[in-house]
Amino acid sequence: MKKIINNPDEVVSEMLQGLVKANPQLQYSKDLEVVSKIDKENKVGLVSGGGSGHEPAHAGYVGKGMLDAAVAGNVFASPSPDRILKGIQEADTGEGVLLIIKNYSGDIMNFSMAKDLAEMEDIKVEMVVVKDDVAVKDSTYSTGRRGIAGTVFVHKLAGAKAAAGGSLDEVKKVAEKTIANIRSMGMAMTSCILPGVGVPGFSLGDNEIEIGMGIHGEPGVERTTVKTAAELAEILCNRILEDYDYSDSEVAVMVNGLGATPLMELYILNNEVEKILSEKNIKIHKALVGNYMTALEMSGCSITLLKLDDELMNLLDAPCDTPALKV
Amino acid sequence: MNIKITSKEYVEYIELVTKKIEENKDYITKLDSITGDGDHWVNINMGFQKLVENKELLLSLKLGDMFKKIGMLIMSTVGGSSGVLYGSAFIGAAKTIGDKEEMDINLLCDVLEAELNAIMERGNAKPNFKTMIDSMYPAVNALKDALDKKLDDYDALQAMKQGAIDGMNSTKDMEAVRGRACYQPNKGVGHLDPGAVTMCYQLEVLVDYLCK
Repeated sequence: MKKIINNPDEVVSEMLQGLVKANPQLQYSKDLEVVSKIDKENKVGLVSGGGSGHEPAHAGYVGKGMLDAAVAGNVFASPSPDRILKGIQEADTGEGVLLIIKNYSGDIMNFSMAKDLAEMEDIKVEMVVVKDDVAVKDSTYSTGRRGIAGTVFVHKLAGAKAAAGGSLDEVKKVAEKTIANIRSMGMAMTSCILPGVGVPGFSLGDNEIEIGMGIHGEPGVERTTVKTAAELAEILCNRILEDYDYSDSEVAVMVNGLGATPLMELYILNNEVEKILSEKNIKIHKALVGNYMTALEMSGCSITLLKLDDELMNLLDAPCDTPALKV
Repeated sequence: MNIKITSKEYVEYIELVTKKIEENKDYITKLDSITGDGDHWVNINMGFQKLVENKELLLSLKLGDMFKKIGMLIMSTVGGSSGVLYGSAFIGAAKTIGDKEEMDINLLCDVLEAELNAIMERGNAKPNFKTMIDSMYPAVNALKDALDKKLDDYDALQAMKQGAIDGMNSTKDMEAVRGRACYQPNKGVGHLDPGAVTMCYQLEVLVDYLCK
């Protein structure tokens, strides 16, 4: 294992401290592994989180126009309810808090428990669950579809609605509408190594890729041979377009890297995605290309489509200022 | 006989369970290595050790507050699924206890039922999923039946213990629907569920302690 770390047990805490040192507008709650905004605005609070190893998710999306707090678990493991409760307390200004959760059983259990604890303290809490991955119906860590990179769009649009002064119910409605219009599909070319484990969790041969693999290395749809960017774009986009009707619509696209894939390759993929969509008369309003939700040093990508109407478009274009996304 | 459980008795019981779990390290770890990812003993042991470390604090709390504190301690120490499931159980029990200072057999029955319901709800799980629920569900039902029949506390508790043991043993032939074992090709068939075993320990030790 070659990694720039000190002690595997301290990677989450040291990473978040490093993030806050580069972003002095954020603060870090030691031991509870919560990153939150220093300047509180009076508005609905947004909290997201989950296992670490998906950087810049989730702490990278804390800031104006997006999240108010992010809660980190250990690598690929859900944070415990006491940590999430701290995130809720940091984000609450009396207007209530929305939890944005990805559909993994551990996350669902821990976030719902935190919601109960916060309600015992008279904080109003609502939650939404992102399940954008069209690859598989059930998976190693999820009952039903997994939540992956599309979650970033949910942070962005719900965050814009909260910043515009929306009520807890209105912000939740926007989050749910966004979730309903998002589909993602990914693939992986290599495994990744958890710092505490030291060896790869599985192996893919030199000429092997896995279509539909999850962001923790969970099994996908099929193992196949290396493809061209055009073939990959075709495979991933088709799965998405078969699952939800994007025809004649305007969309936001995210071409996301899993951590070890060079930007060169992501831009090449984006070029192919644009060709496929324009052939189908789908207009791209905005494309985000880069590492938005990763899996340590896994190489691979995911493609996300978000179908836009006027409301969602305005929220997508609203300004935001976070370490990982600025509009 | 008539049982009475205050914070003092419950902490004594926690110490006995912790010892029982400690003694079965190799057995539980081996079981979880076959059906799951091998860390169940480490996690559950860490949680109970933490409770014993905080014995004085727990003793200073009223029964309901003590249960809430136990839930919070286990949740933050154990993490993962076991942590949140046990945390939910104890915090659910705390709500049932309210500000009562001690438990008689009827309140104990309500508390165990609240724990069971909290675990089933949080884990979105039912009996026959090859989980800790399979030890607890028959145990709680046996206790309820015994109390309906107006059995003496001693006999009612013995019935509960037998329910827990039978329930634990019934997990051997079950196919897992929840937990890591459901990702095994054979769904863990042929082996007891480690979560059901450690839950059975807790119920057995409780009965033995109250009936001693």
